[in-house]
Amino acid sequence: MKFKLKTSLATFCTMLIFASFNVYAELVAVPALTKHVTDLTQTLSAEQQSQLEAKLAAFEQQKGSQIALLIVPTTQPEDIAQFGIRVVDAWKLGRAKQDDGILIIVAKNDHKMRIEVGYGLEGAIPDLTAKRIISEIMAPSFKRGDFYGGINNAIDKLIALAAGEQLPEPDHTTSNGQNFNNMLPLLLFGGLLMGGILRAVFGRFFGGTLTGGAIGLLAWVLGGGILAAVFFAVIAFFITLLGISGMSQMGGGVFGGGSAGGHDTFSGGGGGFGGGGASGDW
Amino acid sequence: MQKIYLKLLTALLLLNLTGCGYNHFQSLDEEAKASWSEVLNQYQRRADLVPNLVNVVKGYAAHEKEVLTQVAEARSKVGSMQVTAEVLNDPEAFAKFQAAQGQLSGALSRLMAISENYPNLKADQGFRDLQAQLEGTENRITVARNRYIGTIKDYNVAVRSFPENLTAMMFGYKTKPSFAVENEKAISVAPTVDFADKK
Repeated sequence: MKFKLKTSLATFCTMLIFASFNVYAELVAVPALTKHVTDLTQTLSAEQQSQLEAKLAAFEQQKGSQIALLIVPTTQPEDIAQFGIRVVDAWKLGRAKQDDGILIIVAKNDHKMRIEVGYGLEGAIPDLTAKRIISEIMAPSFKRGDFYGGINNAIDKLIALAAGEQLPEPDHTTSNGQNFNNMLPLLLFGGLLMGGILRAVFGRFFGGTLTGGAIGLLAWVLGGGILAAVFFAVIAFFITLLGISGMSQMGGGVFGGGSAGGHDTFSGGGGGFGGGGASGDW
Repeated sequence: MQKIYLKLLTALLLLNLTGCGYNHFQSLDEEAKASWSEVLNQYQRRADLVPNLVNVVKGYAAHEKEVLTQVAEARSKVGSMQVTAEVLNDPEAFAKFQAAQGQLSGALSRLMAISENYPNLKADQGFRDLQAQLEGTENRITVARNRYIGTIKDYNVAVRSFPENLTAMMFGYKTKPSFAVENEKAISVAPTVDFADKK
């Protein structure tokens, strides 16, 4: 009896393993988004990539809208439009409220390209314009084998069109946010010092209130947001109330750990896409 | 004391169930309506392109009366349908709408196919522009439909899951229709390629 069980179990397991093999063709995975320019085919040289990267990053800095380039070998078994919408749904280029993202995809082996335009830029770059950029700027260059030239000129044209669009100014409070993170230890130390002085002058409770108010105001002005300001105000109040010695170590530990987080890598801003844009081939 | 606790517990449970389920349905219902509106928008956009397209093609291929008439008829059929979010609660109306749009899709693809036989038409910039716009619109329709299907899936799952289906029954929320593949029979038959000369 034991023998039969073992063999049948083994057979069953083997069958399961075979069943789990994907019978369907694998869809091309959406690459990770780390920079404006993602070239998975080594078509562009490192220098060309960094030139385009600089141009696109500068445009984002200036205008806020995110334009990205993706070069893949193929999008099969999907159509380039199907692949494109999957990528932009994952990457979410463009700012969340403005939806001002653009993605240029080149499927090198398929000889196909697509410009995917976010909701917010469909006025500046309607489908027709995207099609013209593809057929008049990109396709002729690609046919000659000049990929960098075609892409560079297309990007220039897209930047010119998007720049003409009335979009809200880019939000520079993210840099304020970083300032705030850096200022945290300073804020704490300042709070302790101020608390000590005010406590000596005004007494525990009143000194605490004054310190809390001052620290809260400072936190808010530095771009911490209302909630953070209230939080720090309360903390400062209690620190002053209870005296420096007890709370300083704990406070230091809490705030020291919290100020990490750089905003250096490129990531999507939460923008939406509706399938606008155009495809073409060469 | 026990009786009071029991009553309190029952009240709490009831509140919890209806509280959670009801609000959930509100947001899912609104999402479904919003994604349906988007689908309607894109279909409308396509319908708006058709008259221009027909005019351009007439300029080069006026004698292709059959196809042109089909397109015009399909377009007017679609235009005459009053479609709102209410269509989602009426599976018959939904099926009718899908059929009408499918008819327009078929007529348009036939129109684009015959345009292949007219090199002058293909070279016409106006025609090429309309072709680009039509492709863009068809893509948007696809994206809108896919998003609608995703939203409806969430809604239908909520309507059918226990215990929220009790809330659904209480407030009259039924499953909403999703897009079926139109005419499955036709798709399962491979298209025949006919190279015979048309005389």
